[in-house]
Amino acid sequence: MKSEPINRTSMWKFKLSAATMTLIPAAVGINYVAKALAEGLKLPVWLGSLGTFLASMLAGPVAGAVSGFINNVIYGLTLSPISTVYAITSIGIGIAVGILHAKGWFSSIRKVFISAIIIAIVSAVISTPLNVIFWGGQTGIAWGDSLFALMVANHAPVWLASFTDEFVLDILDKVCVAYLAFFIYRQLPQRMVRFFRDDK
Amino acid sequence: MDEDKRIILKDINVRYRGADDFQLKHVNATVTAGKIIGIIGNSHSGKSTLCRVLGGVIPNIISAEIDGTCNLLGYSPKDDWQAFNASTGVVLQNPAGQLSGLADTVADELAFDLVNQGLPASFINKRVANVAAQMGLTAQLGQSPESLSGGQMQRLAIGTAIVTQPKILIMDDPTSEMDPVGRKQFFGWLDTVQDTTVFIVSSEIDDLCEVADSIWILKDGELIVHGSPEKVFNHLSAQWRIPEPTAYQLAQRMNWRLDDNRYPVTSAELKEAFDAQN
Amino acid sequence: MTDQNMLTGETVGKSKWYNAIDPVTKLLFILDMALLSFASTNLVIEGGLIAMALVLLLFSKVSSTTFKALGFSLFLIFTMLVIQGLFYSQNQTVLFSIIGIHFYKEGLLYATILGSRVLVIILASGFFMVTTTISENAKYLEQSGLSYKTVYVLMSVCYILPEIMANMRKIQQAQRVRGTNPQKTFIQKLRSVLPVLIPLVIKTLDQSMTRSISLQLRGFDNPKRKALKGNNHYRLASVGHYGLTIIAVILIGWKLWTKINGLF
Repeated sequence: MKSEPINRTSMWKFKLSAATMTLIPAAVGINYVAKALAEGLKLPVWLGSLGTFLASMLAGPVAGAVSGFINNVIYGLTLSPISTVYAITSIGIGIAVGILHAKGWFSSIRKVFISAIIIAIVSAVISTPLNVIFWGGQTGIAWGDSLFALMVANHAPVWLASFTDEFVLDILDKVCVAYLAFFIYRQLPQRMVRFFRDDK
Repeated sequence: MDEDKRIILKDINVRYRGADDFQLKHVNATVTAGKIIGIIGNSHSGKSTLCRVLGGVIPNIISAEIDGTCNLLGYSPKDDWQAFNASTGVVLQNPAGQLSGLADTVADELAFDLVNQGLPASFINKRVANVAAQMGLTAQLGQSPESLSGGQMQRLAIGTAIVTQPKILIMDDPTSEMDPVGRKQFFGWLDTVQDTTVFIVSSEIDDLCEVADSIWILKDGELIVHGSPEKVFNHLSAQWRIPEPTAYQLAQRMNWRLDDNRYPVTSAELKEAFDAQN
Repeated sequence: MTDQNMLTGETVGKSKWYNAIDPVTKLLFILDMALLSFASTNLVIEGGLIAMALVLLLFSKVSSTTFKALGFSLFLIFTMLVIQGLFYSQNQTVLFSIIGIHFYKEGLLYATILGSRVLVIILASGFFMVTTTISENAKYLEQSGLSYKTVYVLMSVCYILPEIMANMRKIQQAQRVRGTNPQKTFIQKLRSVLPVLIPLVIKTLDQSMTRSISLQLRGFDNPKRKALKGNNHYRLASVGHYGLTIIAVILIGWKLWTKINGLF
């Protein structure tokens, strides 16, 4: 791809363009559908942040953060109330993906793996206090919670046990989502990538 | 003639960013207000791009390299975008995508453009009812747009374009999802449209010949021929791979000619040619 | 979200008492209930809040969505009782034993309080969920002064999701016709979502592009835009907003005050 020095725009765009305005609901929809697919196939991952990833990659961290936030608010107000509070986690994921993508950390198979780990850490760090406040540290996923119980039974601090519980789940989920997003993004037609990236 | 009574395309070239080829090359045409223009061509011939230029989507919404002059009734898309946009109604290729995505009912969807202009509710309701009647959607006014069939959705998309009573109507393949009856009704409606310049992309050659004042054929981004349907199809080159109207094919096979030795392209002309023969 | 009833709602029928309460009041009510339950560590108060939300829900409408949300949480609360009852760090007093395994009072109490808070939030949100339609929210938010753009970004997904789901089913059907091998391993399963997701994402984003073009052509950002009025007539909306906001501020302030005092 040719570089376009004249049209270089900052990744931080706070005024939502008309393109971003229709991208965000689509991203939230993709989150929902990906989650439904994962549940249908009984995959041990959520995949519910795929749309947030794509929005961040296409239109920057702010678009991704807004997608993540709205995703959880709408999910919370229509299906599962407690998920609303995890909107903060989704904002963090959106911002992390947007920055990493803008800095070129989604450009190769190897780099995507490192990005996924960073995103998983961000997600787990934000989620852990919420898990402690609302669920005494649990995540609600059986094998993660077994790990949690095991650690607490052996007198590990709740914070550490909860972080571990969340992180092992997050690392698997975010690696899967990051690779899916990476492969899908590469398949998108250039006109589409341009349309959502354009400053107009 | 006044510039504000014409649509002028002068040497239009369009290339999308990052693309190697031009989608439109040296397109030149002048249209008198009130005419119906049928645009035909094979896929990737530049039909949709031309619609985007006419609607001002290029360069105002999709950025692309464009040069040449596009002037609609005296308005330029760059300098007079508000007035330009207010004078056009656009039906995009993808009818579902044309809908706002935040309307509860067909009535709300039709009202959207008028609500955006801050018009009074009584006026909006009257206009919506009128457009719904024209598009055969009166019974669906209270339904969710999501519940419509493909053809109904396409009629709704057309309804949203004509609700503002634009001076220029641009439609990109507006009957692709309609059944034969719906298509017949649509072209019947198009024939009754008055005081509006219509640009319509379609592959329904027979129907186009019935309603259009002029036919434009696009090939590889070039406007290779334009003129009355009769003239265009009597001088068709086989290389263009454009199908001829049924009336023309039949007349050619039967050697039924019009007075000026040409073959007919509409059913009325076909009858005329047949009567002249017998 | 896919429930068509949520879109069209029951505005056609007779207006119920809860239709007179505006969405923002209902949302503030959830906030206040959540704050109250977090301010308290008293089981009686928690029980009272649960009862209050439950009564409100029973007097409005009972829906399967609430049961689904409750079902998942009740299971999680149960595991929480087990884990905390067994392993809570401040466990001292054995409350009961089952086949030699001791359950402690402190952990059970802690888990019960947490569980109650979750129930308060779910039941209070349930009231919002069953009594408000998406279209009512969208219309009310715009009338309350949010821009069309903001309302669109917030709410449009509820309108376009049925279409995305329908596209997904079409693509899945096409894949099935083409015949795919049964997937066994995790990686195989994960790979099998790509042939569905790639066309679906492209289709969905393509739709977004068209929609964005169309919205601009149709003048969505015209400053003259005046939103249509909704069908609902709300009573005492501003009283509700101010009252509930004041309660929320007092609760947060009080909680902060006690926290700060606790530091010294």
